[in-house]
Amino acid sequence: MNNKLKVLRAMRNWSQAELADRLDVSRQAVNAIETGKYDPSLPLAFKLARLFDMPIEEIFDDGFEGGSGE
Amino acid sequence: MMVSKEAAVSDAGKPAKRPMSPRRKRYLTAIGIAALIGGIMGAWLQIDSPGSSPASLAPLSNSPLTPGFAIGASVLWVIGLIVSLFIYHRAIDDHEERAYLWAGLAAWYTFVLSAPTWWMLHRASLAPPADAILLFAGALVVNCIVWLWLKYR
Repeated sequence: MNNKLKVLRAMRNWSQAELADRLDVSRQAVNAIETGKYDPSLPLAFKLARLFDMPIEEIFDDGFEGGSGE
Repeated sequence: MMVSKEAAVSDAGKPAKRPMSPRRKRYLTAIGIAALIGGIMGAWLQIDSPGSSPASLAPLSNSPLTPGFAIGASVLWVIGLIVSLFIYHRAIDDHEERAYLWAGLAAWYTFVLSAPTWWMLHRASLAPPADAILLFAGALVVNCIVWLWLKYR
């Protein structure tokens, strides 16, 4: 799953370790999410959304292009 | 206003070191307890059987042990590991938990594939008797490799 975590972090001048501290996870976890090797759990995704004050779907992109059909 | 040389270097250089989070403290405590258990058992084994194989190989050998060491080490292993794992699982994040679970599954598959195979080959006199500690060590090696790969790749 693609995400904008690296961009959002860079905009705030945070290191991976700093973001990890704010999320209370390891630096390896932040790196794995940024590089797309690991998709965070729903609670962690919500934590990220709250931290960056954005909806989850603006941070993560599952590549699904379809609409609701209305 | 006078500023000490250390403070100036600290201000101009690297940012101040962040205080350790409670999660990280728990994590390091769990690792520390596990390392301490290993250290105590290794040292105790060497003191208990001074003439045996080198320290690194002593736990894997099948040489006889004194009852005192066997009981003490068993109690230390079970209680120490339970305490350490309890703290560890309260300290790890989602990412490490996933690595831990996949590593555990890989170790279990290693055991499931190797133990019955070895046992059947032995019953046909094609292999020596199955060695529980070798099976354990094999599963542990697979566990470590998968865990390290998933956590640090």
